[in-house]
Amino acid sequence: MTEERLQRVRFFEFLTDEERSEFMDGAQPTVFEAGAVIISEGEESSSLFVLTSGRVEVRKKIPGDRERSLAEIDADREATVVGERGLLGQNEASATVRASSRVEAIRVPREAFRRMISEGRPAAFKLSYRIARTLAQRLTRLDEEVVEAIRDLERRGETDLEAFRDRLITEWTV
Amino acid sequence: MSRTPSLDSIPLFERLSPDEQDELAELMEPASFGPGAFIYEEGGPEETLYVVTSGAVEVHKKVLPGRLHHLATMEAPTIVGEMGLLTEPRATASVTAKTPVEAHGISRDQLLEMLDEDSLAACKLVYEIGRTLAARMARTDESVANIIVQLERRNARPDHDPDVFGDRLLSEWGF
Repeated sequence: MTEERLQRVRFFEFLTDEERSEFMDGAQPTVFEAGAVIISEGEESSSLFVLTSGRVEVRKKIPGDRERSLAEIDADREATVVGERGLLGQNEASATVRASSRVEAIRVPREAFRRMISEGRPAAFKLSYRIARTLAQRLTRLDEEVVEAIRDLERRGETDLEAFRDRLITEWTV
Repeated sequence: MSRTPSLDSIPLFERLSPDEQDELAELMEPASFGPGAFIYEEGGPEETLYVVTSGAVEVHKKVLPGRLHHLATMEAPTIVGEMGLLTEPRATASVTAKTPVEAHGISRDQLLEMLDEDSLAACKLVYEIGRTLAARMARTDESVANIIVQLERRNARPDHDPDVFGDRLLSEWGF
């Protein structure tokens, strides 16, 4: 049943039925009640979640104690994936994902994924390829935005921008 | 005859079996770049992925008119052209040899073809590339957070709309 749900989800649609079952062996169906936090900003996020029903809100802290809503996702309309970066990296989540209604999800823990990787299971590597492509596209767009921001700020003739730009670009690698 | 490169000393290939390493090595062509030579030129093609086995490369980008901004220096063993592989085959920055550079090139089209055919060797390489991208994404997030701080500070300026910027930047956030 849950395997059928995976079939139409981004990152999983290219897998064979057999490979989807491999993921389901290590996955857990999970329910979040309205208000529950699925991924918490600043904490290590170690699972990928396939949201199959319900609605979530993505929020990001802004320096200066503020928070901003980044996106609202309606999984009833289309199942969606959050937390994919946590499978490949070991970094803190950069945003919070919170259930705004009752949410049904399938949790793929990093340990299960890593086990598949160390066993050399093609399904896990195929999934990685799709995630890597998504990350690369997002990074490219982010880099473009950063460049635009720098150019825009420069056009305004600010005087203290040199240091700002340097800070910005230090961490920026190709 | 081209030399067959040894890939097992390169971290990105550690996970590959000897057979899988050979499968990729067979498709590789050796390449040398003298100091200052372009490996990719910003705006130009990025049709080949290079495994750099010796030397150092520098990454520059034209961010503002008339100036080149230095983004990074990378020492062997490393890989360049991975963004071209995973997105568009167009260089978003220039990569030049800082010292004499020895590398092995593999065609983007061939790698993509292998990935489409679910080649485990190619998928394993991309898994390792994906791990470096995930780490890089986290660093980029921090940089962008800094931009937003700067923009928010300019909030009071009447000719400036930081929210538009902030929203655009934030909407690209990975988590």
